[in-house]
Amino acid sequence: MKFKKLMALGMAAVMTMSLAACGSSDNNASSGNDAAADTAAKTDAAADTAAAETEADTNQDAAESSLTYAGITLGEDYTDLTTSIKWIHHKTDREEDGTIQGYIDEFNKMYPNITVEHEGITDYAETALLRLPTGDWGDIMFIPAIDMADLENYFIPYGSVAEMSELINFADQWKYQDQCYGIGYMGNAQGLLYNKAVFEAAGITELPKTPDEFIADLQLIKDNTDAIPLYTNYAAGWTMGGAWDGYLGAITTGDTTWLNQKFTHTAEPFADNGDGTGAYALYKILYDAVAQGLTEEDYTTTDWEGCKGMINRGEIGTMVLGSWAVAQMKAAGDNPDDIGYMPFPITVNGKQYATAGPDYCYGINAQSSADNQAAAMVFVKWMVEESGWCDFEGGYPISKTAPTSFVFDGVEVVNNDSAPEDEADLMNQMNAESELNFNAGGDSRVQRIVEAGATGESYDDIMAEWTQKWNDAQSALGVDVLY
Amino acid sequence: MASAAKTNKSERPFNFLRWAKSRKGQQTLIIIGFSIIPLLLLFTFTYFPFVKMAQFSFYDRNYIKVRGFVGLKNYIDVFKRPDIFKSLWLSLYYMGGAVVQLALALYLATIFCFGVKGGNFFKGCMFFPYLINGIAIGFIFKFFYTRGFVLDTVLQWIGFDLENLPYWLRDTSINNVSLVATSVWKYFGQNMVLFVGAMMSVDASLYEAAELDGANKWQQFKYIMLPSIKTIVMLNLIMSITGSLSAFEPPYVIMSGGGNGTATYFVKMHEVAHTSQKLGLASAMAIVLLIIIFIVTILQKLFFKYVFKNAEDEDKGAAAKREKKLAKLRAKEAAR
Repeated sequence: MKFKKLMALGMAAVMTMSLAACGSSDNNASSGNDAAADTAAKTDAAADTAAAETEADTNQDAAESSLTYAGITLGEDYTDLTTSIKWIHHKTDREEDGTIQGYIDEFNKMYPNITVEHEGITDYAETALLRLPTGDWGDIMFIPAIDMADLENYFIPYGSVAEMSELINFADQWKYQDQCYGIGYMGNAQGLLYNKAVFEAAGITELPKTPDEFIADLQLIKDNTDAIPLYTNYAAGWTMGGAWDGYLGAITTGDTTWLNQKFTHTAEPFADNGDGTGAYALYKILYDAVAQGLTEEDYTTTDWEGCKGMINRGEIGTMVLGSWAVAQMKAAGDNPDDIGYMPFPITVNGKQYATAGPDYCYGINAQSSADNQAAAMVFVKWMVEESGWCDFEGGYPISKTAPTSFVFDGVEVVNNDSAPEDEADLMNQMNAESELNFNAGGDSRVQRIVEAGATGESYDDIMAEWTQKWNDAQSALGVDVLY
Repeated sequence: MASAAKTNKSERPFNFLRWAKSRKGQQTLIIIGFSIIPLLLLFTFTYFPFVKMAQFSFYDRNYIKVRGFVGLKNYIDVFKRPDIFKSLWLSLYYMGGAVVQLALALYLATIFCFGVKGGNFFKGCMFFPYLINGIAIGFIFKFFYTRGFVLDTVLQWIGFDLENLPYWLRDTSINNVSLVATSVWKYFGQNMVLFVGAMMSVDASLYEAAELDGANKWQQFKYIMLPSIKTIVMLNLIMSITGSLSAFEPPYVIMSGGGNGTATYFVKMHEVAHTSQKLGLASAMAIVLLIIIFIVTILQKLFFKYVFKNAEDEDKGAAAKREKKLAKLRAKEAAR
């Protein structure tokens, strides 16, 4: 009995630990904030918008409407405002290394009377959701995953979406009834991480634009340098599905409606287009790289923490990750300038595409005093326009006027259109039914491509299997096949 | 007067307070009081969720939305889908590992039992892995098996060439064995300690007597030790086999979610339930596993009953023979 109890206790401990482990890896992914999380949040929220729109709008305040982001001129307005505001955020790393305090000191040179308290929260996504309803969490927070319809209960608008769109990118990320409630602190673009020094040593002068060119360049890296041409990060798991699925949509097809509107209705989404485009070409890059020995020796023991230093030292040529990873790779060693970010090497009709979206967005507490709200908006505007934080993190620019070092030459930056409201949940259903889980934790699916590349299993067979599963799911859910 | 009082007493209405204060009442109340909490906990956290899970297994549903009653479809899927049912075969690796683990534990326990210098220290060392958290063990072995790391280095010291060594986690022919080895490493110490404990309880005079009769160590082990600890051996075997049917940590942690053909039934179940959110199918998988574990346990019980029954039968036979002989002798004596 005792032994059984011990065993049960042990099992319970193990399970709790494994739960915790899952949680932290999730956090990793969401602080990375791949486009997956974004689109998921968006579609969820979109689903609820319809229901909530009928509800009466009760929370409008006269004071709020007069305060707008566009109306504030930094350094001129509100300079005599004396108050203390509090900001809660998830960037604990920047809290610890003093970056945030540095920005606040800088801000206080312009606004010496506004005191900014700040708190970095480790378990942000959940903690923020718990604190949000209490109302006294402070004045500024990064908006957690809530429904669009709830925005007006918790936050004040910065201005109309149209007005804000002229000043910042992604003004429609958190919108409700055409008001903008959230401004990103940085943007994430989908491209490819590479080491400039390795590319130079390999003799690559021009960035690859097609899968064939990319594979050829990887071969050059293998031939001419000691670096691993492409590091798969197989073992970390979330770096497989979480990273590769992010390129589905406009990047691979040039069609912004493909991912959220057409994909679910496509009969053969994984068919070989023959011209290096589409989902087939996307995963084929990974397959070919592994099959031709252009990845690390032993994919099962890749090390996510270790890879940051490796690419920084020039031991890795390329990694397939969102632009959020740039700052981490730069910080991991002595060669931050070697880390580069390039558009994904797929060209559709002579044009390369990149998708981009905001990371966490600043939201201002609707229950704060009018003075605090004004001070908070001044602070947010200063952070977005003047601080240079977004650029420091290597992010895709939020402000349309602030200087940025993020360059995507000759690339059209687009956003995948969201799903129509009546089909907001369809992608989730298709994912679950087919068990392919695109942009929803389908890591084992992408891991399998690596395994197939290593063992010589046919790529076309895998694509055929996916198509079969997709079609089965379509018929099980009664989805019309339109494309 | 006396009889009137008596009738009065017997007719007095039931008084709860008085009853509660009486010895009998106290007894009942304490029994209820003490057992209601564990029973309530058992019911809320074990039986009620189990019944709910059994109910889920007949529905097509995810965590929040029920899509409809599907009858036995989920169960049929469990058996029909190659990826799910094939993952059960991986359990054979772990069962093999369980047998190795028990043999190793039994062997070491016997050695300790016959006396070893610094025995307690070694026992502690071997038991230690059991105390480490399974996730931590996963991470330890992830590095242990990495190309050119611990295992390869040690093997190179004793003369292996790195070129000839397999990729412990990458080669699908060997990676399951690598994973099973980690679970053997973790659990054999614990089995061993249990065996040592059982062996210690065997009366030492039996060994002395056996030694005087000229029995060697092997015979002592076979005829004294093993029969005395057979219950613990059986318990350990049942625990190990059922444990190997539900292996989860090694593939989940070391192989990051059971990639590369290492997804055991549990890992597959986790993926179905949490990634794909097919709660109905996952519940059906859990119930099928429960039934399999029942069957395996019953089979083992029957097997052991058969094995040990044979030994008893011989004894009985011998006794019967002796009786017969005695009866004959008596008959002879009586005839005289």
